[in-house]
Amino acid sequence: MPRAFITGLAGQDGSYLAELLLEHGYEVHGTVRPGTDLAASRLAPLGARLGRGPGRLTVHPLDLNQPEGLRALLPGVRPDEVYHLAAPSHVGQSFEQPEAACAAIGLGALRVLEAVRRLSPPPRLFLASSSEIFGRPTRAPQDEDTPLAPVTPYGCAMAFATHLGRAWRITYGLFVCCGILYNHESPRRGENFVTRKITRAAAAIKLGLQDTLELGNLDARRDWGDARDYVRAMWLALRADSPGDYVVATGQTHSVREVLAVAFGHLGLDWQRHVRTDPRLLRPAEPHTLVGNAARARQVLGWAPTRAFADVIREMTEADLAALRRQTGVTRADAVHPG
Amino acid sequence: MPKKAFITGITGQDGSYLAELLLAKGYEVHGLVRRVSTFNRWRIDHLGPEAAGGAALHLHYGDMAEGSALARLLARIQPDEVYHLAAQSHVRVSFDMPEYTTDIVATGTVRLLEALREVGLRPRFYQAASSEMFGQARETPQRETTPFHPRSPYACAKVHAYWITVNYREAYGLFACNGILFNHESPRRGENFVTRKISRAVARIAAGRQQKLELGNLEARRDWGYAREYVEAMWRMLQQPEPDDYVIATGETHSVREFLEVAFAHAGLDWREHVVVDPRHYRPSEVDVLVGDASKARQRLGWSPRVRFAELARLMVDADRAWLADPAAPEPVPAG
Repeated sequence: MPRAFITGLAGQDGSYLAELLLEHGYEVHGTVRPGTDLAASRLAPLGARLGRGPGRLTVHPLDLNQPEGLRALLPGVRPDEVYHLAAPSHVGQSFEQPEAACAAIGLGALRVLEAVRRLSPPPRLFLASSSEIFGRPTRAPQDEDTPLAPVTPYGCAMAFATHLGRAWRITYGLFVCCGILYNHESPRRGENFVTRKITRAAAAIKLGLQDTLELGNLDARRDWGDARDYVRAMWLALRADSPGDYVVATGQTHSVREVLAVAFGHLGLDWQRHVRTDPRLLRPAEPHTLVGNAARARQVLGWAPTRAFADVIREMTEADLAALRRQTGVTRADAVHPG
Repeated sequence: MPKKAFITGITGQDGSYLAELLLAKGYEVHGLVRRVSTFNRWRIDHLGPEAAGGAALHLHYGDMAEGSALARLLARIQPDEVYHLAAQSHVRVSFDMPEYTTDIVATGTVRLLEALREVGLRPRFYQAASSEMFGQARETPQRETTPFHPRSPYACAKVHAYWITVNYREAYGLFACNGILFNHESPRRGENFVTRKISRAVARIAAGRQQKLELGNLEARRDWGYAREYVEAMWRMLQQPEPDDYVIATGETHSVREFLEVAFAHAGLDWREHVVVDPRHYRPSEVDVLVGDASKARQRLGWSPRVRFAELARLMVDADRAWLADPAAPEPVPAG
């Protein structure tokens, strides 16, 4: 059975991808930040699968900012497929830490490319890129041939990683696929992302734990998909006959306002009574409408999204409500502000 | 009060010409120099305080690898204009040293911009972008709107530096310009670049000190201009009412073979008798023909190239022959 290696294993995408690959009988290895508490991480559901061999998961604590780490680790694992997902993934934070974004994302991708190139035979490599590379697109929807025009430090760094992946594919003939991933959500989404911030707040407000939610631009529109669909595209990309880049997107955009309406509406709440807009939360430079055309992924990989936007938001809201209830012991009956 | 300029990469070809230009315009010039164990200041040795006619050149130790030191330095200097030229600029070397190239070129530019933001300075900012960013270009000639398809670690890193500079202009309103410079040569070109490698070899072969010259791909074509003129374009970009990005190029391409023909013939030699092609000098991945359209620079900056290909090649051979005879000989300048 094939062996896969995932960087960013404990992230939203890494954890779902590990589950998918384990289901298919892969031996899965992956890196987590040193000090990660597995039981409290997104990998907790996989606790019973830990171990070596087909259908098992091996976790390697590794600081990817250390230059020699991957180079030393990969030859011992000898993976058939490598999925590079580790990255500081928050766009807004990249304005505060642009140097770290450049180093972690650009240099990080470079180290993976170089480490993979030195293996014999070199494994297939998936690089997770982002729709942020299009920033201010000249056309909509965007596809694999749309010129890059990033407008955030995160987008600049992702464009850098994408260019490196393409250059290595052409220069060294590596099987490298860049997945240009549009926003993708799930109950495992980080809490500083707007969808999760909203679903969590809706749940907390429902339980009377919170009254207001501060947000930036409510009219910002995104192409939001489901993370489980997107990790399937990653896996399919590495099973194709030849390497290529793929836009992974739903092709539809929704506004932050719509996320609010679905999440709050699902709990019987009126979001307009709870949401305040705070100009400080606006990004210094906001990308224009990003919406992806995943025609190539559909045709070449046979991929299509299976979960609709509103279903994902409702699922996230439910999950946050359940988690908050568990943590606080507050039940719906106890709620002090039921609406 | 004279204007103050800060130049990273002042010991390089472009930095030295730019320092000369700015000193001649009465600027107080500050340059960043790396602490290295071999002395690398031959290009600016002639720019002492007295040579500059009263205006002053100040050199400071620092490195693009260290942002906090850059911030301290900038806080002390308080420059009106910053010219960011420092790089690991050799494309072939960037394949062998991709991490170092990435750190200095891509992350280094972020460090410099962040240092300015941290100190609260808003000087006019020039970033040295490169025609290598176009790589496998999809239109010819390339202009400011041509999409980038970088093919080397150097080019990928330069694209990052380009976009992050645009990002600081748009997000923070910094007066920041990218100059997308096509190849530009001079007698001060580094000796591992093909034009200088050739002009030096011609001088040595003509003097009987060398027989053979090993080169890579003779069919590679480039748009080669004269570096002394290109630094003038950098300065003009920062004098405009609005910041913008500009292609700087001659609009002509010539092959390495043509450079050989002109350079060897200028010394009365036949290049075929001396040149050996060695595939080890090939780049792992070659770019397509790069030729720039500098219309925007001509219209907005009033800039256009004067020294053309053949004159440039001859100028470089003259300089290397003069320096071989007398290392202290003055650098030849174009006639007219």
